[in-house]
Amino acid sequence: MIELFDVTKRFGHETAVDSISLRVEKGELCALVGTSGCGKSTTLRMINRLIEHDGGEVHLDGQPVRSFDEVALRRRIGYVIQSTGLFPHWTVARNIGLVPRLLKWPKARIRQRVEELMQLLGLPVTEFADKYPRQLSGGQAQRVGVARALAADPDILLMDEPFGALDPITRKTLQHEMGEIQARLHKTIVFVTHDMDEALALADRLVVMHQGRIVQQGKPIELLHDPVNPFVESLLGGMDRGLKEAALIQVSERMLPLGPRLLASERIAYGATLSQALSVMLWHGVDRLTVVDEEDIPIGELSLRRLLGANAA
Amino acid sequence: MPVVWLSLLLLLTVGIEQMEWLFRLLEPDKRQVIYARASFFALLMQHVLVVGIASLLAVIIGVGAAIAVTRPAGRDFLPLVSQLASIGQTFPPVAVLALAVPVLGFGTLPIIVALLLYGLLPIVRNTLAGIGGIEPEMREAARAMGITPGQILRQVELPLAAPVILAGIRTSVTINIATAALGATVGASNLGDPIISGIVNGNTAYIVQGALLIGLLALTVDSAFERLVRQRQLTPAHG
Ligand SMILES: Nc1ncnc2c1ncn2[C@@H]1O[C@H](COP(=O)(O)OP(=O)(O)OP(=O)(O)O)[C@@H](O)[C@H]1O
Ligand SMILES: [Mg+2]
Repeated sequence: MIELFDVTKRFGHETAVDSISLRVEKGELCALVGTSGCGKSTTLRMINRLIEHDGGEVHLDGQPVRSFDEVALRRRIGYVIQSTGLFPHWTVARNIGLVPRLLKWPKARIRQRVEELMQLLGLPVTEFADKYPRQLSGGQAQRVGVARALAADPDILLMDEPFGALDPITRKTLQHEMGEIQARLHKTIVFVTHDMDEALALADRLVVMHQGRIVQQGKPIELLHDPVNPFVESLLGGMDRGLKEAALIQVSERMLPLGPRLLASERIAYGATLSQALSVMLWHGVDRLTVVDEEDIPIGELSLRRLLGANAA
Repeated sequence: MPVVWLSLLLLLTVGIEQMEWLFRLLEPDKRQVIYARASFFALLMQHVLVVGIASLLAVIIGVGAAIAVTRPAGRDFLPLVSQLASIGQTFPPVAVLALAVPVLGFGTLPIIVALLLYGLLPIVRNTLAGIGGIEPEMREAARAMGITPGQILRQVELPLAAPVILAGIRTSVTINIATAALGATVGASNLGDPIISGIVNGNTAYIVQGALLIGLLALTVDSAFERLVRQRQLTPAHG
């Protein structure tokens, strides 16, 4: 659990972070969003003490971070950045094994852990273990970055625009995998991003910052429905908020069992989102879709009316 | 390649007396065409020793100083040291030598001091450039992983800066091999002796002999450094 109480950071005369309070529960993924320069990275870095806060308190599991030795503190917090920060003179395996090595794990255990993580992140060991960072694509390098952060199995993960430099398709894939990894590992994560879809899709708690302050925080769906001001509203997508919300709901939540009617000709996977279903309807000009499972076997149907759900007239 | 230059150097050092006929062509009227006041081998050894000691000290002091002023505690001195390093480079070695003699007297010591001071500069400058050229994210990532400052220096900064530092040492040593010849003017005996003696007596053969051996020594060392740099590039993994 991470708690910030009235935390403030000044750089000279400029207040980068202005008395913010925040609580991230164990196992929760908290996304920080906001315009450039609003203090997201600074907030993140105060948690592992890369930057020391000037006012307020930062607590981990109820203890002030200042009570820990800073090196020991950082070894138990994973850290992922946009530029990956992989060491160019070390192989992939050596980069991933860094923190366990610092913690003086036995060699065999480090090797086993590195291989385990490479598998988790879809990096075939024989192909990648001995490569150098410059031989990797952006997506592969970022996977190594995430694996390195997870190496010593930290409870807490800090991620600063981890997928920001990737192309949209690679980014989507990594976001998806990140979601699956989180569903398995239940880390406590603070995640900075400029990609609102990414924030909405991954976050349990969404925190909107503006000029060093927290403007609003809550569940993504709460912020979509009740933005406190026009700034939050426009940051969350303005008129597109309907589609953003629809992207958070799965087809399986709204579909009905197969009825006596003929199957609709167009199909949608049950794991797809309502916004994707709507797109398919728009594209084909139909108001009914057949919902199929992974094996493409029809298991239900979704009408436009059901899709509109509670909002339907 | 270094092996080729080295064998050539050694061959010439011991075999130069056998080549009297060749130098005769150069100075047909002189009674003596082979420098004989000391054996070339002894001169070579003196030369290597002087350059070796001066370079070793220059590496220790230069790299040490550059590391010190890039640590948080010493950062106040960074502008001073980096300015000294670039200004010092414009100072001619002869002047350093001339200034060292009144203080240290004649002999081997002033030349070692002069070479040390002069050889420091490229090393300091390159070490500063190498460490300063490391991307800030690298250091930030290292810190964030919980690497201690000492480990960051040894495992991250020095290996990443090594090619640039090595280039500085290479420049320093090769320049000093040539500069050491000046030591002959202040009474240190080395491969500069035949050159000075040749100039004084108007004997071109002596000059050629000294210059030839100094040139070969410089080539040997320089190509050894090149080999070292290339090997590092092939296997960047140690650290
Ligand atoms: N080390 C520093 N020294 C001085 N000012 C800083 C420092 N780090 C950040 N700042 C300032 O603090 C403010 C917040 O910076 P921060 O990096 O936290 O923003 P951010 O929300 O992460 O922005 P971005 O989305 O562009 O990454 C900015 O105005 C920035 O200029
Ligand atoms: Mg930032």
